[in-house]
Amino acid sequence: MKISINTSENISQLSSPGVDSNSNSAELIDKIGAQLGAVEEVIPFGDKFNGVILVKIVSCEKHPQADKLNICWIDDGGKAENIERNEDGHIQVVCGAPNARAGLTVAWLPPGSTVPETVGKEPFVLGARELRGVVSNGMLASAKELALGDSHDGILEISEEVAPGTSFIEAYNLQGDLILDIENKMFTHRPDCFGFMGVAREIAGIQGIAFTSPEWYTPQPELPALEADELNLSVSNEIPDLVPRFSAIVLSDITVKPSPTWLQVELAKIGSRSINNIVDYTNYFMQLSGQPLHAYDYDKVAACSNDRPVIMVRKPHPDEKVTLLNGKVVEPRSEAILIATDKQAIGIGGVMGGADTEVDANTTRIIIESANFDMYSIRRTSMASGLFTDAVTRFNKGQSPLQTLAVLARIVDEIRNHADGKVASKLIDDNHLSADILERQSVHAPVVVTAQFINERLGFELGAEQMQSILQNVEFNVAIQDTALTITPPFWRTDIELREDIVEEIGRLYGFDKLPLALPQHSISPTVRNPLLDLKTALRKALSKAGANEMLTYSFVHGNLLEKVGQQQNHAFKISNALSPDLQYYRLSVMPSLLDKVHGNLKAGHNKFALYELGKSHAVEQIDSEGLPVEQEQLAVVLAADKKVASSIPGAPFYYARHYAGAILKDLGQGNNVSFRQVIEQQNLPPYFAPDRSAGIFSGEVQLGFIGEFTAAVRSKLKLPDFCAGFEIDSQRLLELSADATYQPGSRFPTITQDFTLKVSSELPYAVLFSFIENYLTDKNMVETNFTLSPKDIFQKSDDTEHKQITLRLGIGSNERTLTDKEVSELINEAVRAATQSFGADQI
Amino acid sequence: MIDPTLAEGLKRRASLGDTTVLRSAELKSVFEELKRLSGEERAEHGQAANKLRTEITELLMNAQSEEAQLPAIDITAPFDINVPSGQRPSLLSSTQSSQHPLTTELEKVIDIFYRMGFTAVESREIDDDFHMFGSLNFPEGHPARDDYDTFMTTQTDTDGKPFIAPAHTSTMQHRFLKAHKADLESGNPVAAVIPGRVFRNEDLDARHEHTFYQLEGIYVDKGIHAGHLIATLKTFLQEYYGKELEVRTQPFYFPFTEPSFEFSLSCPFCDKQGCNICSQSGWIELLGCGLIHPNVLEMAGIDSNVYTGFAWGGGIERLVMMKYGIEDIRHFESGKLDFLRQFS
Repeated sequence: MKISINTSENISQLSSPGVDSNSNSAELIDKIGAQLGAVEEVIPFGDKFNGVILVKIVSCEKHPQADKLNICWIDDGGKAENIERNEDGHIQVVCGAPNARAGLTVAWLPPGSTVPETVGKEPFVLGARELRGVVSNGMLASAKELALGDSHDGILEISEEVAPGTSFIEAYNLQGDLILDIENKMFTHRPDCFGFMGVAREIAGIQGIAFTSPEWYTPQPELPALEADELNLSVSNEIPDLVPRFSAIVLSDITVKPSPTWLQVELAKIGSRSINNIVDYTNYFMQLSGQPLHAYDYDKVAACSNDRPVIMVRKPHPDEKVTLLNGKVVEPRSEAILIATDKQAIGIGGVMGGADTEVDANTTRIIIESANFDMYSIRRTSMASGLFTDAVTRFNKGQSPLQTLAVLARIVDEIRNHADGKVASKLIDDNHLSADILERQSVHAPVVVTAQFINERLGFELGAEQMQSILQNVEFNVAIQDTALTITPPFWRTDIELREDIVEEIGRLYGFDKLPLALPQHSISPTVRNPLLDLKTALRKALSKAGANEMLTYSFVHGNLLEKVGQQQNHAFKISNALSPDLQYYRLSVMPSLLDKVHGNLKAGHNKFALYELGKSHAVEQIDSEGLPVEQEQLAVVLAADKKVASSIPGAPFYYARHYAGAILKDLGQGNNVSFRQVIEQQNLPPYFAPDRSAGIFSGEVQLGFIGEFTAAVRSKLKLPDFCAGFEIDSQRLLELSADATYQPGSRFPTITQDFTLKVSSELPYAVLFSFIENYLTDKNMVETNFTLSPKDIFQKSDDTEHKQITLRLGIGSNERTLTDKEVSELINEAVRAATQSFGADQI
Repeated sequence: MIDPTLAEGLKRRASLGDTTVLRSAELKSVFEELKRLSGEERAEHGQAANKLRTEITELLMNAQSEEAQLPAIDITAPFDINVPSGQRPSLLSSTQSSQHPLTTELEKVIDIFYRMGFTAVESREIDDDFHMFGSLNFPEGHPARDDYDTFMTTQTDTDGKPFIAPAHTSTMQHRFLKAHKADLESGNPVAAVIPGRVFRNEDLDARHEHTFYQLEGIYVDKGIHAGHLIATLKTFLQEYYGKELEVRTQPFYFPFTEPSFEFSLSCPFCDKQGCNICSQSGWIELLGCGLIHPNVLEMAGIDSNVYTGFAWGGGIERLVMMKYGIEDIRHFESGKLDFLRQFS
């Protein structure tokens, strides 16, 4: 929302401290930022016009040497200094504008002044120079040179009566004027602040000054009686739910012409283009009040109607189209608010008017509409057709329906006085507001609140009278009974319904910078830590210890990635409004996102790494008891090495991943319970793992996840190196198991260590043999012994691939005595004999 | 029309792993054919030819994959057969490890809030319309919804509404308040921070990500006022930056807080002298906050006459980018070790 400080001042009739000059305005701007809304930009406006003087052209004659140039003598009231004048005190200026003529009041840029249009860009400073042998002292300015518009066709004709020599700045109240751009978001619930008047009122309020709205701004203004031949117009509103109020009036005898200069200046301040006086008035009074207005050419409406001119407010018929002011033909959504005659659509209510009834240079009779439209309907229509106009910005915040007449009366007044308009119809006021609203002239019921309630929420200690005065400054009606305030919001406020809304109002106007800073008090009972977050921290620590790199990748993936790793798109949640196909699906697991990053990192020269991510995954089949998708917490780890490094690593990469998983889980206290088992139900194995080279990860009997190398298809599609393996763990499940490390006191007696080797079929899984021996030793239950069994070697002779040799190491000790080597050898022999019987193993 | 026998033949060769098939005269002839055709016929034939080539490529790849299938291994063994003891699997050196700077910072931030008496709970990555908007006092069709460009799924919830990729961590407010109502009534405040990943349908550039991290905070008890909110945030920030700071607020609008603020702190990097980080302004706009709207409390079954509270939410990337001078937000999810390994 853009507003000029001087315009605001003019509306409030206040000259408040810190507003007048540039040097002090910073203070006010800070205050606006702190108490109204963030000031996004401060644009110097007034200073552009330094030196520009309004002058009268006293004579205008053809340049003897140039057809298109005129020699003008101007009266500057003797204002300019050090300049050549004739005996009458007039100054010579050469001007090429076709409209230059004696008697005009125009803006003169004297020598030494800067062309306003060029200020802040590449400043162009004027001088006195000869044009075809005639000296021109500076120049007469067009609207474009004055930065008021695009028009370069001729010089700007000043419409106001001003004494020659008046400075432009003085004439249009531009001294030190700054334009503030205040963030719109702050005003989402403040439709009144989408008008200069609303912002001016707040600026007064935050300075503790009482604001008085102009007299015309009243819910029940008087409109002039008929003053010309009555023109027929009937309005029918079929959708009062969406259009609670539709006010309109017909004016005749109007003159469409360029806008008065003051209006062009006001519009230029907010970057709005001047079109003609009628269109500009509707725009300006909307900018002033927040209430959008629309002008229709009455005769065009009549021509679009069957018989008598009629405006119908209704929903569109199927396939109905309307040609809008911007030239586009639009088919509004079926629930839109359509403005039509009995023959055709002529506009989308509250969004944009139609081209067929547009006011043009030849228009003499107009209908002015000041209506109220449902904010939700306007928003949906605007979104559906991609039309974002100033009217939409205002209506979709929910303008007050109690102000339509005030603003209508104001523009009628202006057009009667300055564009020759005559009232040519009775006031049409199709009004569906409830009796309550009309009676109290306030959109919501009064709020009753105690001073205590407000102070408790702000930490202030304000008295009821203080609160009353704060609210009265912005024109609330406040009655005090004991400590309770009964607050009736003014008719333009639609946002005040709850006591908390009053809390905000008082806090803000009084100043949130005055909030007493104090920390909340609470008991010293310990904070409950989040176990899942703690687990994630522990996993990160363990992975860091293992040299891994944490990665974060998007939760959304490309459908192609799912396909490449063999996951099915129809299992994944699909984004309906994705920015690009890259982000079309919620991932089904974290691993593919990591695999997708392997190739790039290898290419970047990282030859050996372990990547991991702690993330969430979802699948459409998994919905929880509340109907929400289950969020699976996953740790995914992938190990990779480039060809060169891999050539020096013997053995399958699977065992590296296994070693990693073992180390991480050991750090998490799962050490002795972890096992890696053949996946029995292959359909549960994620499709990217190669079935012959993957396993389930277990702690005890709980499956935590999967580990393995990747299928050849995945390797080729994602350009994975030969040395690549990974694992994934369900963190939530791990959390349920979480255990601290276990401790075994050491033995007081020496531990005996013996290795032994068994030759078994190469088909026999290592773990089967290992568990067998381990269980045998446990069952044997020798008195007070502790033992550890560990793998020493797995060997296969090149000429005997039918068998393999497994060497195990037994370390054993007793807490009661020193064991002998012989005892241990015998124990091992027993175990081996048992293994021979079970698996046909031979001791070597 | 492509000769079906010819097409079949090509496909058979591909499925047997014959790599020459892509360069074969037969396949070339199919594309040569295009030159003879025009108009619709040409377009149709072109499509068919491209389709055939894609099929052949797929078949070839599959055939090659099968070849590349490695023999089974004993997954129960701790290391591979015949690997000498010195060359068995080991961990990488911890000197090359790194933790993602965002998670490091989140851990640090959460740790401070733990010490201040807040618990922590992570937000969801997929949620419903009710938790994103409805429970937070955003009426259906309200313009405030426009400020959150939410991603939605084609799948719908039990109300027939699309699921939503949360655009803020406030999605957890309602759940957390409801779950801790009993604590509140037994005299303990509701105090939690909610870290999580959030999503906005925004175009990527150096300052905008569609995926980023937020940290939400809520505090509810009897007698909580706006001054408590500002003091809490100030205390946190002073602990985080390890120095005295100034703070200020600007009024703002959020449907789920009233009053609402934008919260700024004096630039901790230049102590208000003006630097690049604060764009020479001496201030850093950091987060949004306010007193929890009574409708939000009431919807969670909490009596807003008795209890009041505050909430805030801010991005984590900003903190990290300012701290390390990271120039482009897109580095965070780039998955590049060149970036990640700078944060050990």
